[in-house]
Amino acid sequence: MPLSLSPSTSTPAASLEAKQKGPDKTPPIIHLSAVGKRFGDHQVLSDINLSVNHSEVVCLIGPSGSGKSTLLRSMAFLEEYDEGEIHIEGRLLGWEIDDRGRRKHAGRTRLNQARRNLGIVFQQFNLWPHMTALGNVTEALVRVRRIKRSEAEKRAMEVLDKVGLAEKAKEYPARLSGGQQQRVAIARALAMEPKIMLFDEPTSALDPELVGEVLAVMKQLALEGMTMVVVTHEMGFAAQVADTVVFLDQGSIVTRGTPSDVFRDTQHPRLRQFLQNYLDRNAFWHTTPEQET
Amino acid sequence: MTFDLSIITANADAIWNAFLVTIYTWLAGSLLGLMAGLLIAALMLFGGRPLQRLLRVFIELVRGTPFLVILFLVYYGGPSFGVRLGAITAGVLCIAFYSSVYFAEIFRSGFAAVPRGQLEAGECLGLGRLQLMWRVQLPQMLVLILPAIVNMLTILCKETAVLSIITVPELTAVLTGIGTRTFTFIETLLVLCIAYLLLIEVTSRVGRWLERRVGTYLQR
Amino acid sequence: MFDWPTFLFSLPLLGKALLITLQTSLLGNAIGFAIGTLIASMQLAKMPLLRRIGGSYIFIFRGVPLLVQLLVIYYLAPMFGLPNLSPMVAAIMALSLCSGAYIAEILRGGLLAIPSGQREAAHLLGMSRPAILLRIELPQAVQSTLPSLVNELVLLIKSSALVSVVGLADLTRVAQNLASSDYLFFQHYLVLAGIYCLINIPLTMFGRRLERHLERSLA
Repeated sequence: MPLSLSPSTSTPAASLEAKQKGPDKTPPIIHLSAVGKRFGDHQVLSDINLSVNHSEVVCLIGPSGSGKSTLLRSMAFLEEYDEGEIHIEGRLLGWEIDDRGRRKHAGRTRLNQARRNLGIVFQQFNLWPHMTALGNVTEALVRVRRIKRSEAEKRAMEVLDKVGLAEKAKEYPARLSGGQQQRVAIARALAMEPKIMLFDEPTSALDPELVGEVLAVMKQLALEGMTMVVVTHEMGFAAQVADTVVFLDQGSIVTRGTPSDVFRDTQHPRLRQFLQNYLDRNAFWHTTPEQET
Repeated sequence: MTFDLSIITANADAIWNAFLVTIYTWLAGSLLGLMAGLLIAALMLFGGRPLQRLLRVFIELVRGTPFLVILFLVYYGGPSFGVRLGAITAGVLCIAFYSSVYFAEIFRSGFAAVPRGQLEAGECLGLGRLQLMWRVQLPQMLVLILPAIVNMLTILCKETAVLSIITVPELTAVLTGIGTRTFTFIETLLVLCIAYLLLIEVTSRVGRWLERRVGTYLQR
Repeated sequence: MFDWPTFLFSLPLLGKALLITLQTSLLGNAIGFAIGTLIASMQLAKMPLLRRIGGSYIFIFRGVPLLVQLLVIYYLAPMFGLPNLSPMVAAIMALSLCSGAYIAEILRGGLLAIPSGQREAAHLLGMSRPAILLRIELPQAVQSTLPSLVNELVLLIKSSALVSVVGLADLTRVAQNLASSDYLFFQHYLVLAGIYCLINIPLTMFGRRLERHLERSLA
């Protein structure tokens, strides 16, 4: 019996399909080949092969401990991967090959270069509590991109407006709700005009009624063509917005595919078990006769 | 025995100068110690393993040695290396040196108190380690470490008394000198005790006031 | 550079001096502990007068530098009816009175952490106030504050270097004498520092291990 999570055929998905998805000749913007990572004896990631194309939205799902956060963080080199290679825009991330063919840490400048086009949003928001929302967004613009403060503030206000928080610009994070804080965090990352946005369980720390506003912002970003890799438990979001859904379990990619493949049509036992588990806890709609085969 | 405070008024000038010397060695030494301590803490944060281990050994050695012995090493032992410091300069430098390791520990615990996630976010945005320390860690640390720093300052104020042993003309040296010369031990030692008690009390009060001010500023 | 013969010959003298330093420090610590217990219980007493006396004691003996306390005791002892004190006695008095104030503060924290129900139960069972303190409260307070007490001992050993000014033949005094006789100041003081570190660093590490042990058993 197929599971009840089916991709809706409402407008967002239709617009997604309207995006240029024809045979893409440009190389993938993120490419992982045979990536692995160990923590002591424990193999956290093994043999990960994944490509993300321009404007693609990839959702990573899986049970806790499956390594999905580690995988996402590795894409920003917040975790050092031990095996394989990660290429961001064609350049090797985090490592350099010295003249004897061995790996060593890439210098700070090279790492920063690679991260220039990455924006990251964390589960715990990680806003700086002693600065206002505006301050949080302008800080990197002023200190890293060396933009003049007035110009930086203009840009910051634009991006805060984009996430719907223009009136809260002068507020300190403590006075904002969780959903608002996360949106400020998204604005902070967006202000740097990244080509890729990485989201590490962006709504997991939020009260349920605040989740929607953050997902709405993320949906909008996807529609505008942002390349996104999202670790999430929000299956509805993945079903509606993702181009590819990747299921991880115990450190390896078990299966992947379009939302239909993964949520509706999969026969893979572990995935079905995971989704059933999820449904049992989260679904409160009932299946209609037409959706059952 | 008679209690005659006139000996104090008779030597008011010398005592006032001694007071200034105490204040100077205390505050100048503490300031230098704070800066050195921050430097050590930052080096331990950014430096590689070998540097961290070296600094750790250095900190333990300085903390295991009495302040008086450090004074002797610098003031009397210095000339063996051609370093001939005046007593006051030696005093200031030793206070700075001795306090730097304690301040370094205070700064380190402060750094650790700021959640790592905030630093990761900054790193990913491209902020450098120094920028992160200056703009993200230190402002938040201030409230946390202020009590410990004020406490250390009171300890250092009392340590300035030890400088009398290497002939620095500060309060203890001068007042005990007067006392020995004129046999007015009671008066001079009493004034000496009261002077230190006043200094400590004032420092504590200022410290508490500062804590309140910084606290509200960051709370907003 | 380093004069090995002199160093080797100085070791026996320093060894004797080490005994004096340890003797003074440990006695000072022990008596200081007794004083600290007394003052701490005064601070937690019901009578306001006792609390004020305890508070004043701590204020004075933590506010005045140890060196000054030592000089006061040594030079003004006759005033308080005591005969001219020997350097050793004056030193132990000063060290114990001073550390007593610090230990009082440490113990006060430990005593406050004990649930008052225990005191009440003991009282109802007919135990006298001193008995409650010594048999019920103190052991627990000491157990929970042991790392701080060890730290206080280390500070005391370092402070004991000051007793050299009243002529007591402790480590520092002997090193000073050696240095002024052969002018090898740096060497003798370096060895002196080394000896203090040899005592203090293991003690400090022991204190840290105690602290971790405590954290784990409480977690």
